[in-house]
Amino acid sequence: MFVSVSNLQFAFNISRKPPINTSSQIIPWSPYQPKLTRAPKPRSQFLIEPQISPTTNTITYTMASLRPRTLPLSVRALRSTLRQTRPSAINSLSAPTRTPATQTPPTRAHSTSSVSADELSHFSALASSWWDPMGPSRILHLMNPLRHEFIASCLAEGSPSPDPTSSTATLNYLDVGCGGGIFAESLARTIPLDPTSPAPTPTLAASMTAIDPSTDLIQMAREHARMDPTVDTHLRTGRFKYLNTTLEDVLAGNAPAPTPTSTSTSNPTSQPTPPQYDIVTLFEVLEHIDPKTSTPLSFLTNCLRALKPGGWLIGSTISRTLPSFILNQVIAEAPWPIGVVPRGTHEWSKFVNPDEVRGWLQEGLMRAADTGVSRGGSAAAEGMRWKCVGTIYIPGIGWKMVPGSEDWGNYFWAVRKEL
Amino acid sequence: MRPISRAVLRPYVCPTCRHGISAGRRRFGSKSDSPELYDVVCVGGGPAGLGLLAALRASPITSKLKVALIESQDLRKAKAWDLEPNQFSNRVSSLTPSSVSFLRSIGAYDHLDVNRVQDYQDMQVWDGQTGSRISFDWSMETSPFEDMRTVATMTENANLVRALLRRISDSGDENLSLFSNATVASIENGSDLKPEGPDLSAWPVLTVKPTGPAAETETPKRIAARLLVGADGINSPVRSFADIPTQGWDYGRHGIVATLALADPATQPFPASKRTAYQRFLPALGGPIALLPLPNNHATLVWSTTPENAAYLKSLPTPAFLAMVNAAFRLDMTDLTYMMGMQSSSSSPDSTPSHQDELTWRAQHTQLPSQIPPPATAVQTGTVASFPLRFRHAAQYVSPRVALVGDAAHVIHPLAGQGLNLGLADVASLSKTIQYAVSHGMDVGDLLTLERYSCERYLPNAKIGGACDLLHKMYNVPGEGPVAWARSLGLGVVDRLPFVKSFLMKNAEGY
Repeated sequence: MFVSVSNLQFAFNISRKPPINTSSQIIPWSPYQPKLTRAPKPRSQFLIEPQISPTTNTITYTMASLRPRTLPLSVRALRSTLRQTRPSAINSLSAPTRTPATQTPPTRAHSTSSVSADELSHFSALASSWWDPMGPSRILHLMNPLRHEFIASCLAEGSPSPDPTSSTATLNYLDVGCGGGIFAESLARTIPLDPTSPAPTPTLAASMTAIDPSTDLIQMAREHARMDPTVDTHLRTGRFKYLNTTLEDVLAGNAPAPTPTSTSTSNPTSQPTPPQYDIVTLFEVLEHIDPKTSTPLSFLTNCLRALKPGGWLIGSTISRTLPSFILNQVIAEAPWPIGVVPRGTHEWSKFVNPDEVRGWLQEGLMRAADTGVSRGGSAAAEGMRWKCVGTIYIPGIGWKMVPGSEDWGNYFWAVRKEL
Repeated sequence: MRPISRAVLRPYVCPTCRHGISAGRRRFGSKSDSPELYDVVCVGGGPAGLGLLAALRASPITSKLKVALIESQDLRKAKAWDLEPNQFSNRVSSLTPSSVSFLRSIGAYDHLDVNRVQDYQDMQVWDGQTGSRISFDWSMETSPFEDMRTVATMTENANLVRALLRRISDSGDENLSLFSNATVASIENGSDLKPEGPDLSAWPVLTVKPTGPAAETETPKRIAARLLVGADGINSPVRSFADIPTQGWDYGRHGIVATLALADPATQPFPASKRTAYQRFLPALGGPIALLPLPNNHATLVWSTTPENAAYLKSLPTPAFLAMVNAAFRLDMTDLTYMMGMQSSSSSPDSTPSHQDELTWRAQHTQLPSQIPPPATAVQTGTVASFPLRFRHAAQYVSPRVALVGDAAHVIHPLAGQGLNLGLADVASLSKTIQYAVSHGMDVGDLLTLERYSCERYLPNAKIGGACDLLHKMYNVPGEGPVAWARSLGLGVVDRLPFVKSFLMKNAEGY
């Protein structure tokens, strides 16, 4: 009985893999296609790599998908072989060679610097159950309303929109590491169908761009978004976008700009202006950065680069303290019925304390203010608007914001890029 | 029909052909096939369904939601409902103060005809077997110098429904569809409107069919609901669609209702505005009799008794019926059991006054308690009716894109007059949940949204329903014995311990 069940599951898994391949095959791909319009699905290149068997894990797919698209086919094949064997070596090589976004030509190579391979495979495996309200991501779903409240509290302190008193939806959001789209979809739902009508919520969203390096998760997020007609409409009009890309690519202008009317994407010869967002969100992302391939500092600096002056960088993460170790490692990842998150979701050593985030952001603000000709200097970080509030999950009650509990585990943080 | 046949055929069709089939179907009908989308569709236009709609329209957060209500009765008639000032409908409910404050908060209370509404400040409850008594009022919490607090407010359901309809039409007709005189012909899951439409395969799609004269001219309408609310009563079609089972039992009792006119009270109440409700448990006859005040010295009767007794009482001529009601508040169990078996006037014409004679004669030999209501003198014609008493509780209140409120979720014994109040508390909780969801970007039909409503209401409803069930069972043990002693002791203790009594009253009133 059990054998047959597990066989069935195995068969199910196998049969579920190929659709990713087939779906990529129907997308026409041309090596000469200029990067003008919507980002071409990178996984279309999978076409030329039939040697990768579907039984290899998803990292291989995604790594392959993030390859440079302008190299000759032979080089590409060589690189992909290398990557299959030693992905981290390639990543560590490519990371330091990154150049500032402003000096980047439009056809520069993709970089995967902030994407961690282990994390990718872990979360891709969770893809099918991501939207199950009773599944392993339940705890994230429950936290989601607090994210809206925290953003609203940030906007109440300082609005990036030119007219802070108006309630028109004007803000462009970028969600980095959107995963299955828990936050991105909920925010997209608050975008008014009629752009001139007042925004229904204090988050004042006018557009949302959500990016994640995992092909599976983006695919699943798009599928789920179609189940809500409002969100589906936003997906069709482009006010809401899911992009299977990295932050570095967005900064390099390889991804479409937040507004469809932007000219930077329609003119390939012009200087790529990095997309400018009013709010960049980083929910539960910082603790998943692989220190081997990237540093939180360079990652946060890139996030700040994507921000308009006056905009907010808002995130949430977990602090690295003894209570947080007990709560997040011992209790939360304990077997059912005590545990609430799947084993291996978090790695304690990657957790970051509020002080560390704050330090990186100060440094990041200065670096983000660097231009080709001058350094940003400490003026950029002076008077940094910093907000931080802890949250605690109480079983049976839910998530509660508890100021002062930042050192206990989960906390929200936000920083404003001054005008 | 189509989704089922497709699902059944699916394994037998090769993948490419399967693709072709669905593509072809899409090409034909996706435009005409796509149902109209609504955020909240409420089936049932009773006080609960209309209360939800009025609450959603009243809140600035949810007033932009596209809502629909489907009701098989004529809502225009309900909105134009009117009666003579001294005529009262026999469907009357008591509203607890928390229900009243909910109705005030959504602006519906102002539309209530206050001349047809009666507050009462005192409730006398006693045991017909042992005579032990309890008096519910707020005197232990208020000083003698302020006005007595209301225990409950009596209102006709028709008055409440009319007020809610007026409140809803006050909010304008933007984003609002009232399908009056219409029934739900079918509820099924929608389909994936690929490639040019959203995936509605998890959305309930209702076919709304007009009834009555409009049935020939109007075509059935298909509407899809982000959240489908079942406020459609004990045999809820929405609940069957969601495949939610219910537990419960029939009490084997009927409730008799009637509108009565009372004689002037022997002693004027003090203060003059004070009104009293009376309830006497009659263990030998199967349940309590209650007389609840209405304006101008009228009262509504609710008498829970066995179906045989109910049939007997309904067959009595008016004077005999009045005599039985007055006897039920005055005489001993033995006398009442005897009178319940007396030949009615139809078989022996000379015995027409016999019920009154029996009452007069027997009352002389009974020590009357001090708290009896003034005698009933007249029955409003056509108001004597009965309905079966049942207990039902749905296993869940929510399922994806479905929520149950009111009688669709729970039906309880009416002895505490809580049924409508639980329904309104459901509606208050569900509308609050929807407000929270809309202001936090949540999908209002999502289980993560709805579970907040279910968590908030399931236990309180089970508690009240269970308490009413327990009281019913305790007060159905006839004769003297340990149960009678225990309930008398309990009643006496509660009556003498103000904090226990105020705790119980607060529970009953939803504070």
